[in-house]
Amino acid sequence: MIDLSVQYAGLFLKNPIIAAASGHTSSLEHLIELEKNGIAAVVLKSLFEEEIINEFHNTLDADDQFQSNIEFLDYYDYELKKENVNRYIKLIKDAKQKLNIPVIASINCVSAGEWTPYAEKFEEAGADALELNIFILPSDNAKTSIDIENDYFKIINSIKEKLSIPITVKISPFFTNVSEIIQKTSKTGISGIVLFNRSYSPDFDIEKMTLNTSNVFSSPNDYTLPLRFIAMNSKKVSCSLAASTGIHDGSALIKMLLAGADAVQIASCIYLHGSTHINKMLVELETWMNSKNYLNISMFKGKLSGENIENPAEFERVQFMKYFSNHEI
Amino acid sequence: MAENQTEYYKIERAQEWRAEIRKNIKVKDRTEMIRVKMLEQDPLIRNKNGLEVNLGLTEELAVTEAQRCIDCPDPTCITGCPVNIYIPKFIKKIEIRDFLGAAQVLKETNSLPAVCGRVCPQEKQCENSCFYTIKLNKPPVAIGFLERFAADYERNSGKINIPETAQKNNIKVAGIGSGPASLAWATDMARMGYDVTVFEALHEIGGVLKYGIPEFRLPNSIVDIEINNLKKMGVKFVTNFVVGKTASLDDLREQGFQAFFVASGAGLPRFMDIPGENSINIFSSNEYLTRINLMGAAKDDYDTPVPFGKNVAVIGGGNTAMDSVRTAKRLGAERAMIVYRRTRNEMPARVEEVEHAIEEQIEFMNLNNPVSYIADQKGRVTKMVLQKMVLGEPDSSGRRSPVPLEGSEYEVDVDIVVVAVGVSPNPLIPASVKGLETTKWGTIKVNEQFQSSIEDIFAGGDIVRGGATVILAMGDGRKAAENMDIYIKTTLKHKSND
Repeated sequence: MIDLSVQYAGLFLKNPIIAAASGHTSSLEHLIELEKNGIAAVVLKSLFEEEIINEFHNTLDADDQFQSNIEFLDYYDYELKKENVNRYIKLIKDAKQKLNIPVIASINCVSAGEWTPYAEKFEEAGADALELNIFILPSDNAKTSIDIENDYFKIINSIKEKLSIPITVKISPFFTNVSEIIQKTSKTGISGIVLFNRSYSPDFDIEKMTLNTSNVFSSPNDYTLPLRFIAMNSKKVSCSLAASTGIHDGSALIKMLLAGADAVQIASCIYLHGSTHINKMLVELETWMNSKNYLNISMFKGKLSGENIENPAEFERVQFMKYFSNHEI
Repeated sequence: MAENQTEYYKIERAQEWRAEIRKNIKVKDRTEMIRVKMLEQDPLIRNKNGLEVNLGLTEELAVTEAQRCIDCPDPTCITGCPVNIYIPKFIKKIEIRDFLGAAQVLKETNSLPAVCGRVCPQEKQCENSCFYTIKLNKPPVAIGFLERFAADYERNSGKINIPETAQKNNIKVAGIGSGPASLAWATDMARMGYDVTVFEALHEIGGVLKYGIPEFRLPNSIVDIEINNLKKMGVKFVTNFVVGKTASLDDLREQGFQAFFVASGAGLPRFMDIPGENSINIFSSNEYLTRINLMGAAKDDYDTPVPFGKNVAVIGGGNTAMDSVRTAKRLGAERAMIVYRRTRNEMPARVEEVEHAIEEQIEFMNLNNPVSYIADQKGRVTKMVLQKMVLGEPDSSGRRSPVPLEGSEYEVDVDIVVVAVGVSPNPLIPASVKGLETTKWGTIKVNEQFQSSIEDIFAGGDIVRGGATVILAMGDGRKAAENMDIYIKTTLKHKSND
């Protein structure tokens, strides 16, 4: 009997597939559907500060009766925040009541400030862990890269201080030395790091000459970026690692585990193929393990990580040069 | 402006007495006159007493100011008034020293002129539409000062004019709440001959005029006189009666009430939901002001006093925040602070209230926002943690949004905090009346006739607008009365045809 269970960020998972924060994890109905199809844990859709601000603006635009009523609206963003947080708390409570898998709350933040008390409320509501989805867009010219990196650690430390549940951090790959950040982050006492988050990128419509949204889904080729950094860092970090971005099939899942990931997060492939795709990926994993005579994941996890291969530099420049020298024009 | 109304103004303006006084002073001379200043108590004396700040105009000052009005052929000021006071006419009555006549003109459309003359934001309404503002870029005619003068003159003369009422039709109608919307509605319904009863949850009549606005801005005695006028018109008031709890609307229907005007206000306080906000001595502005204004909490011989506090912080930048902080100063606060996350330019409070507060040595901590409170072992607030802010991009209301400055937090000693960050509509009626449609804001949905989704229920004021000025609420009350009359007559006609 093959055992697919893993430990991720101090949580027991029946298999290594976690539903990443997305529209699929924003309602109880969807969460139940995911669990039914084999998901091992869910990260509830992030509460975005920006979303609340947008909701505030949309509400104003839709209801001009209140536009001139400045005193009524002056602090209305706090009311919206409360409403959103209360809805989120309800989702955590409902999910905990109906699901038998870990429920991970998620906050998308660019600052620590007022999110810390909300994080405490999510813990009180029963969340098994909290994922901090941090992405500070480096748009402030007055800030150095070190300032920005320090902001990440400020957010982590201030939330870590207040919570007793495991905290994981989802980061972007856009650091000068991302490996150093991964390792430094892992030493802050957090329980896991997710590599990497996907940020919204604006695009242009050259016919309409307007701004629009670029493709929001990852592509199956995107997995190589997290693969590289997980392989390079999995034996050097003091916490769990989860791979995210571009994991669309069982093969990518297996590769991440071989690189040393404890689990993977998926979202785009659920949007593209439906929840039943989770089961398909699990079957692929099980079939592959069977063919290799692996009885559990620890038997092969990290087998192709930087520490376990003869020449770890292959994950870096050497492999890149070899690839192009073999492809003649 | 309706065509017949324009015609009416034209005819009135052409009257001999108006034409005569226009000739007395040339327009050029009128426009060169300087706007009079309101007489006020000295700031450093008034911030230690509870007496009214503004002392009103003398007869001479009022006449002088009235002379500035050029009696425009197209009186744009009226369009800025939610109850369409015939402004040039009452001002010209003052110019000819017919002060009682001026008060009578006011009362044709405004049942609470002494109140409106004190608390209306004229600078955003009638005075903002004045010819001086629009065309001359000069200070507008002080319409608010003159309104207050005429109303006060009438009251002090002892010759208060009680509006005439039509023959009683014995049709019972009920107002819920006794604030400005309801009082304006009740006046018009009584004028039309209806049997009007106003139900009030508190022990005093007047709603926000009494519990929300401090006496140094609007003395309760002024409100009481206006209420007495309504009583003289036959309006009945029932206090300590919570519609939805003491009796339901169905109970009242059984008692023969044919239609209802819900004006239950916005009495639900909002908080920011930040750590430590539940500490002792952190009040909502509603509680703080109601206890002091209405329940004697600042008096030694009352059972439920509020602590006075040396360091009092009021969070917010609206009129309620100004009322709260100025009240705290009068109760002896050494440091009475406004903590506001934008700048003075973005403050929703009336310009006059902000200026008065500054004169009274209120400390303005703009571009600051509380992020938490620290309490002592007994749970009493001792410090607020403020975060500095900067202004970012404008939001949908056109005002620049406050953006927190990370890492700028610092502590300030406080022993009382008043949270004045807005209020939400009173949920009692919406929650207790089945089928009554509400908006996402919690306000009652009404059509242009101020009629709700239940045909015999009309609504206006803060329960419809979320938060409104006194005069806007009164405007709602008047329009609701006009349409309720049409509704009742139509319904009765149908019933008699059946």
